[in-house]
Amino acid sequence: METAYESAKKRKQAAQKDIAEPVKKYRIKSLRKREELSGFLFISPWLIGFVALTLGPLLFSLYVSFTNYNITSKMDFVGTQNYHNMFFNDGLFWTSLWNTLYFVAFSVPLTTAGAILLAVLLNQKIPGIKVFRTIYYLPAVLSGVAVYLLWMQLLSPSTGLVNTALSWFGIKGPAWLFDPEWTKPALIVMKMWSVGGGMLLYLASLQGVSKAMYEAADIDGASAFRKFFHITLPMITPVIFFDIVTSLIGGFQIFQEAYVMTENGDGGPVNSLLFYNLHMWNKAFEVFDMGYASAMAWFLFVIVLVLTVINLKFGKHWVHYGGGDEK
Amino acid sequence: MKRVSVLFISVLILLGMLAGCSGSAGGPQEESSGDSSAQKGKVTLNFWTFWGSETRRPVIEKIINDFNKSQDDIYVKHTFLPFGDIWTKNLAAISAGNPPDVIINDINSVQHRAKNNQSTNLSEYIKDDSFKGNFYPRLWDTVLYKNDPYAVPFNTDTRLLFYNKKAFKEAGLDPNKPPKTWDELEAYAKKLDKKSGDRYERIGFYPLWGSFGPPSWLMNADNGKGFLSKDNEVQINTPEKLEGLKWLKSWNDRIGQENVNAFKAEFGSEQSNPFIAGKVGMWVDVATFYTQIRDFGKDMDFGVAPMPAKTADAKHWSDGGGFVAEIPKGAKHPKESFEFIKYLTGEQAQTYWASKNFDNVANKKASEDALSKLSGNDKMVYKEAVDNLQVTTMNPVPADAPDYQNKINPLIDAVLLGKEKPENALKKAQSKVEQSLKK
Repeated sequence: METAYESAKKRKQAAQKDIAEPVKKYRIKSLRKREELSGFLFISPWLIGFVALTLGPLLFSLYVSFTNYNITSKMDFVGTQNYHNMFFNDGLFWTSLWNTLYFVAFSVPLTTAGAILLAVLLNQKIPGIKVFRTIYYLPAVLSGVAVYLLWMQLLSPSTGLVNTALSWFGIKGPAWLFDPEWTKPALIVMKMWSVGGGMLLYLASLQGVSKAMYEAADIDGASAFRKFFHITLPMITPVIFFDIVTSLIGGFQIFQEAYVMTENGDGGPVNSLLFYNLHMWNKAFEVFDMGYASAMAWFLFVIVLVLTVINLKFGKHWVHYGGGDEK
Repeated sequence: MKRVSVLFISVLILLGMLAGCSGSAGGPQEESSGDSSAQKGKVTLNFWTFWGSETRRPVIEKIINDFNKSQDDIYVKHTFLPFGDIWTKNLAAISAGNPPDVIINDINSVQHRAKNNQSTNLSEYIKDDSFKGNFYPRLWDTVLYKNDPYAVPFNTDTRLLFYNKKAFKEAGLDPNKPPKTWDELEAYAKKLDKKSGDRYERIGFYPLWGSFGPPSWLMNADNGKGFLSKDNEVQINTPEKLEGLKWLKSWNDRIGQENVNAFKAEFGSEQSNPFIAGKVGMWVDVATFYTQIRDFGKDMDFGVAPMPAKTADAKHWSDGGGFVAEIPKGAKHPKESFEFIKYLTGEQAQTYWASKNFDNVANKKASEDALSKLSGNDKMVYKEAVDNLQVTTMNPVPADAPDYQNKINPLIDAVLLGKEKPENALKKAQSKVEQSLKK
């Protein structure tokens, strides 16, 4: 039997519940909303920047690639005309694509291998190693144009340091930046000089490789060679993968080097340094054919996208992620 | 309380970002020339130039000041932008609808910009038919697009042959008789060569150093005809140009590509210009190259002459570039801007510019007046440059194929490097450029 007191209490509780429930709900909702709002507000600088300065122009350039946009007066839809001209009417497009592919094909493997080799060497425990690490890292912090000017002197055919050094071994160095056969190798050599940036990444990951594995290998009597290929390399594959993906993308964007190191930025002797982006830049800002330049940019995007997807697909087969979800 | 502070911080970040944007966007350094209080009630014009050097800046700013003082309606503000930036910034400003009122731009691409609607048609403001008579006709031609002027010529330049008189005497040549023909040029060059063993200590002459490239030499060879006629007729594969190209190649063969490269790689800063350093006996450059000789080659005994002609009865064809004053499309005060351009290209301002910079100015009368204000070497070089304008061709960028030279240059490079026959190269270049014009 319910006492009056009890029933009153129940009613009160019920009433409280009735009241309390919606209030609580409302509070939770508004709290979430408020958090959402302040979240957006906090990232708004990035959000506004991304939409206004990256996504917007990106979509704009996609549209522009189907027009004859010339920046100041024209913007008529021309369908795939620009793409058609690119593939069938512009010999320099193919020259520039070939030059860029050549550069990427050599510079990416060479700089990657160079960085790994350097990192392994600098991972030794010998006195003064920090000094060497600093010395080899230094080129990576020097800024572009100054370095290019420096290399133009180093690569000078008769008095440059590179050819002088070669002559000590009885090798007659090529004319580098003046000989169309040697211009691209010259740039690749120059790129090798600044592998210090990649080296730093590898060095960090080398130091993360567990010593236990080397000890186990020692007990099994593995040679240094085997240890390198069966322990060290597999353990740093995630960083190699990252390095290859980013330097591949960076390699396709090569521009400054050719712009600074060739006369009038016109692509060097016999167009041997006319890289994709240099050709694109000339089309956009010398000829004002922004529609065409945008089409070129999107084609480059497709190339890089496809290569990166392939990379990611194949990466699964050789990249080893220690611990966690292995497939 | 919490919400307020979150909002407050967010707004602060936003404001900071906006401020950051506007701060960095204010790229060009603006420098007003003259008293800013004098601007009240006047139309202010923004004038962009790339003349920021110690020698040029004071000259242009004095001209601007003189103009500001000469009348009460217009106030001109000078903005200096580096040469590498000025035209891309202008392009961006035009498309954003906020361009400068007057800009100094390249003379050879006026038509290209006019066609792309980047500059203002000036025919509306040039009421007086005699106006164009103030300028050298060849310069005036370059500013016309479909017979309307889109700019006013400001200055120009012309290539001359500088030669080292001391080296001439050493080689047994008459220092007062510079070479007049290609044959003489070659004969003199051989005499001026100085070798120790296989290495050259001095190269008498090499045609492609300095500022007279293959297109210029082929124009010189072909009686002043460039690659394109005025009506865009392609005249690349001509017998004369073929001879010219073979002749250029013969220099590479004689001196040796290696020696050419080795010398060239060492041409660095102005102080070590190979002509001034005595490593090259003769040198083609614009007249203002003289200021380098004056400043870095103390007491160098040099002479200056017109470009050698292909044969004794051909003309001494040279080529030139230069700059124009232009009103970008969408500028707010075109009428006032043109008033200023009129002053800038008028006799007084142009005479002052010429006598201070030894620059060829576009105004005929000023060009001649400046001569009387000079003396000594200044006068010798300047006079030679003014006379040379008679045989100086301009090489305007054709509006329909602005990058046609990109199709020719690699082929010529290949010839000079011995990787292509001159005949084939010119034939290919001819058909490539014809194709690109047909499109």
